[in-house]
Amino acid sequence: MATTPAAAERLLNLVIALVNTPGRMTKEQVRTTVAGYGDAPSDDAFERMFERDKDTLRELGVPVLTVTDASHGDDFGYRIDLDTYALPPIDLTAAELGVLTMAAELWQDRSLRADSSRALTKLRAVGQAPGSTDLVAGLTPRVRDGGGAFAPLVDAVQARQAVRFTYRAATSGEVRARVVEPWKLLARRGGWVLVGRDRDRAASRSFRLSRIEGPVRPVGAAGAFEAPTDNELATALASWDSGTRGVATLAVLPERASALRMRHVRDDEAPDESHGPVPGREVVRVPYRAQWELAEEIVGYGDAVLVLAPASLRDVVISLLRTAAALDAKEPARG
Amino acid sequence: MADRASDRLLRMLGMIAYLDRHEGVPVGEIAEQFGVSPAQVMQDVELLWVTGTPGYLPYDLIDFDASSYEQGVVRLTEGRGMTRPLRLGAREAVSLVAALRALDGALGPALDDERAAVLRSALAKLTAATGDAAAAVDVALAASGSPGATAAIATALRDRRRLHIRYVNASDVATERDVDPIRLVTDDERSYLLGWCRAVDGERLFRVDRVLDATVLDESAEEHDVAPDADTFAPSPSAELVTLRLASRARWVAEVTPVEAVRNHDDGSFEVDVRVVNRDWLQHLLLQVAGSVLSIDPPQVAAEAAGAARSALEAYGELAGR
Repeated sequence: MATTPAAAERLLNLVIALVNTPGRMTKEQVRTTVAGYGDAPSDDAFERMFERDKDTLRELGVPVLTVTDASHGDDFGYRIDLDTYALPPIDLTAAELGVLTMAAELWQDRSLRADSSRALTKLRAVGQAPGSTDLVAGLTPRVRDGGGAFAPLVDAVQARQAVRFTYRAATSGEVRARVVEPWKLLARRGGWVLVGRDRDRAASRSFRLSRIEGPVRPVGAAGAFEAPTDNELATALASWDSGTRGVATLAVLPERASALRMRHVRDDEAPDESHGPVPGREVVRVPYRAQWELAEEIVGYGDAVLVLAPASLRDVVISLLRTAAALDAKEPARG
Repeated sequence: MADRASDRLLRMLGMIAYLDRHEGVPVGEIAEQFGVSPAQVMQDVELLWVTGTPGYLPYDLIDFDASSYEQGVVRLTEGRGMTRPLRLGAREAVSLVAALRALDGALGPALDDERAAVLRSALAKLTAATGDAAAAVDVALAASGSPGATAAIATALRDRRRLHIRYVNASDVATERDVDPIRLVTDDERSYLLGWCRAVDGERLFRVDRVLDATVLDESAEEHDVAPDADTFAPSPSAELVTLRLASRARWVAEVTPVEAVRNHDDGSFEVDVRVVNRDWLQHLLLQVAGSVLSIDPPQVAAEAAGAARSALEAYGELAGR
């Protein structure tokens, strides 16, 4: 097994020492008294080892505080404050722990999986008996990988720190550096999206994580931008919300488009008197959240589904069809 | 399994807190609680036993009752101040709370009252313990499908019963079949039922938004072995290969379609190679992105899609002329 007992033991001893120290421990005290650090062959090796261990502990959520002692000038040391260290009182039942275990499985993203599995290890300490997963038998939720951009963006959102990254615009294909104040990460239909304020455009924008090329780097200090107001955030998120926007009236060939028909609303819920019967077709009322989305679905059915209303939806569909009708006028691709 | 020092540290800290709350726990139970082998638990306990505060004299060390340990029961007698459970880091809290919220939103309709209550209480306790950290990430799973069909699938899964479904495929043809349900997979785009189709005697992935009707049968579902990746759509490598050249604005095609290869061109356009199992599916895609299509190979595929578009336009013409 690929364990590193020495590192785990040294880290554990450091945590225990820093929790139990009456005031603080200087670096030198750590080196001479905490088991595992005396082995460092040189000053440099000790420095590197101690810095790395401190980073590891902070990464794990262990609050290692840097404290200066007034009576010792600028000489500073370290301690762990137990009140900051500890989880607020929480008790989980076996069933709740089971649900959390399933939730931790949701992520296909590697960094998110690592984070949620750590969280779970911590919560197992306060859970009742082994968690039963039977409760959620056969239900497998999953969220796709956010790629390398995900973890640094979550950190930046939390820290309210601006980021710089290279982005390939969908509309033009243009590849350009962006500086963004990150507000929120959304997993929506088909992928991860960052919503934030584009500094060059001085306006809110959405960015698909899959179109970010290369690394995401922090710009400037943490806490350097104002969090968006509720209004700004709501406006930026509006296009990603679900919810019904309208109801379309469609004329459908018999026996066709059953998946679309399944979502129909009854006439008394959303009456539309503007259309009488259409010979050879059935009139069906289907709700939608975005016109383009329903238009793209309808176009796929060809002549089996025609739009009667609203006219704006019919225009979108007809325009898509006109474009598609010219598809065979193009040259074949040569790979 | 690789066990990094940091993972092991967290587990050992968790064990002290756990053993402080539970008086004397058999090694096997600890192993189940933390999801590791009993041998690993014993290695962890033995390491904990020799750690403590500087000085490392007997009373400085974490201590266990040696005679219970010989009986295979771990009883903590000295925790050296480490008995409080460690808080969650910001990203850890985000990852779990966002996952629970997504589950609540998506699986809500598929869960009975008892299970829904467990999900909500876990979410409430976790949010209370971690604060508002999770606002950074918002996941909406798309539990597509009619509430009736979704509920029937969830019931069949829970009670291990067979399902009778009416299903319409990508070619818009409806069929009826009996299915032994295996998993309900919900992602950010839609839900799928992975099931064993009795008619073809093989596993099939059904889009739940195309399940027209689902009835839970009295018969029990049989157990079937399926590959772990059976719930991921992967077209057969022998399926027909179609190459599309698309303008940059259609980049989402490469993101949501299982493509074999993507080649970027300097002008921002790109080419994708797609294995096509079902021509109707491809035609649907082409009608959607027609405005971004620069070329299609083989050309016959383009001709079929254009023909379908022309008949739809004719139908609109008749409608206007009536």
